[in-house]
Amino acid sequence: MEATVLDSWVLAEFETPDILVDATRQMREKGFQGMDTYSPYPLHGGSEALGLPPSKVPFIALCGGLTGMTTALAMQTWMNTLDYPLNIGGRPLLSLPAWVPITFELSVLFAAFGIFFGLLGLSRLPQPYHPVFESDAFRTASTHGYWLSVPHPTGQDAAAVIDQLKALGATQVTVVTGEKE
Amino acid sequence: MTPAAEASAPLEPYTGTPKLMVPAFGVGALGILATLAGFFATSAKGEAAHAYLLAFCYWVGISVAFTIMVAIFHTAKAKWLIVLRRTMETGASAIPIFILLFIPIVLMAGYLYPWWPGSPLLSEIHGIELEHLAHKQHGYLNVTFATVRHVIYFAVWCFAAWKLRGLSLKQDTTGELDLTVRMRRFSPGILPFLALTLTFASFDWLMSLTPLWQSTIFGVYYFAGSFLAAFCILTLTTARARGKDLYGNVVTTAHFHNLGKLMLAFTAFWAYIAFSQFLLVWIANIPEEAPWYGVRIFGAWKPVSLVLFFGHFVLPFFTLLSRNLKLQPAKLSVVAIYLLAIHAVDLYWLIWPALTGTTGPTFHWTLITAFVGVGGIAVGFALRNSRNHFTMPVKDPYIAESLRYVQP
Repeated sequence: MEATVLDSWVLAEFETPDILVDATRQMREKGFQGMDTYSPYPLHGGSEALGLPPSKVPFIALCGGLTGMTTALAMQTWMNTLDYPLNIGGRPLLSLPAWVPITFELSVLFAAFGIFFGLLGLSRLPQPYHPVFESDAFRTASTHGYWLSVPHPTGQDAAAVIDQLKALGATQVTVVTGEKE
Repeated sequence: MTPAAEASAPLEPYTGTPKLMVPAFGVGALGILATLAGFFATSAKGEAAHAYLLAFCYWVGISVAFTIMVAIFHTAKAKWLIVLRRTMETGASAIPIFILLFIPIVLMAGYLYPWWPGSPLLSEIHGIELEHLAHKQHGYLNVTFATVRHVIYFAVWCFAAWKLRGLSLKQDTTGELDLTVRMRRFSPGILPFLALTLTFASFDWLMSLTPLWQSTIFGVYYFAGSFLAAFCILTLTTARARGKDLYGNVVTTAHFHNLGKLMLAFTAFWAYIAFSQFLLVWIANIPEEAPWYGVRIFGAWKPVSLVLFFGHFVLPFFTLLSRNLKLQPAKLSVVAIYLLAIHAVDLYWLIWPALTGTTGPTFHWTLITAFVGVGGIAVGFALRNSRNHFTMPVKDPYIAESLRYVQP
């Protein structure tokens, strides 16, 4: 069996969201990549500081919506016009206005599916374990702590990164190592 | 001053003369005179009357929509838009001029409404329609009650617009926090009255053109189109309001993003309401209601209906989905102008078939003169009201929050 390659991160806690965002931006400008921020609530300017590309979720939602629309139109036309033609009140067998409510609902449903599952997929969720949980102090990320993780080559000395994070206002810095998935 | 110096200078009350004001008044007066000449001096009385009604409904709807917009945002305690609120209040402040602009409609009413005493249109009505008009609808569609209703409409609109703007202007000088509380308390109370008056006004002006046809959702349909148009005007004004003492200097892309989102939302809302109204009439297919849509979706009017479906919903909806577009004021302005144009087509589709019936869409020159006539006077009057006041509520307690607004 191949030896598992372990990943390491330097974790730094900051006192306020503003300091965290500012530190993230400066670390990125220094050339650090693959960083992530953790906060108890959505972070203003967080994704800009991380330099994330525009989200793909809207596009997935649009594709979901269009899929729902096509599915609904095809399904109703097949059922009510071709497979089992029904004459309702003398209207034409292909009466598009009557198709619209179902088409609307299915478009919304599939767009919602697209958003929900698209977001899960893009965030690589569900992910029950991540080495950052090794640090007990990191638990504050879900209550009042603002954290930044910086990937770091396993086994190398992280002192330089730690110093830089402390210089940017980190209140505590730790290194975690583990197997990601 | 250079543009950069203008942008950083402290905001003072706006004392300039808006470039558009004098031309707007000039074009407006000429347009109205030409339309009245078209009505009194030519034989195209029906055309001139319907064209004037279209123009009036278009512009007064936007003004009332601005009042409702201010009241809704106060009710929701929204903070992001406070920098834009003075423009909405100014748009609403144009309502009193519409009392004056309503006079030609009274003069032309005989050529618009079959229920008006002595209307020549009455001879074109037969059978069940005439019976309904004479017996069932007479209690509502008569001059006395119509007068009472119109007094109520304009009283409610003027009062709401004057009160909300007055409190807001007072805050500019005193900065009292209590005024914000009063605006927020007044707004939810006036909203039901604004909703009901606009609904019944749309019944009186537009639905009673064909008295037999009734639709309870019609007021919402008229509101949806007007509200969308009001957001378009707000976007255009905000994008253009750059210069000395104008609020456009401090507006950020986040505000335009939100305006774009609201335009998208109300494009969808209009389609939702339009289809809700259509589906019920179409699926019930009863003789009293169906002909109104029959005229519009078959025969010569079918292309206009299709233009509305694709041009008022499909095209703007998919265009406004783009996040990139909503962040660019110049491109958003193009969409706003387009939506303002298609809103006029929407009202044309509501009004003109009452005149020409199955003959289909026709064009008459008063459509243009009436449109720029009413529009010119209304826009000129609103711009005149904007002078000697701050172009944003400078002492609103939340103005700072509004200015540094970012997307959540």
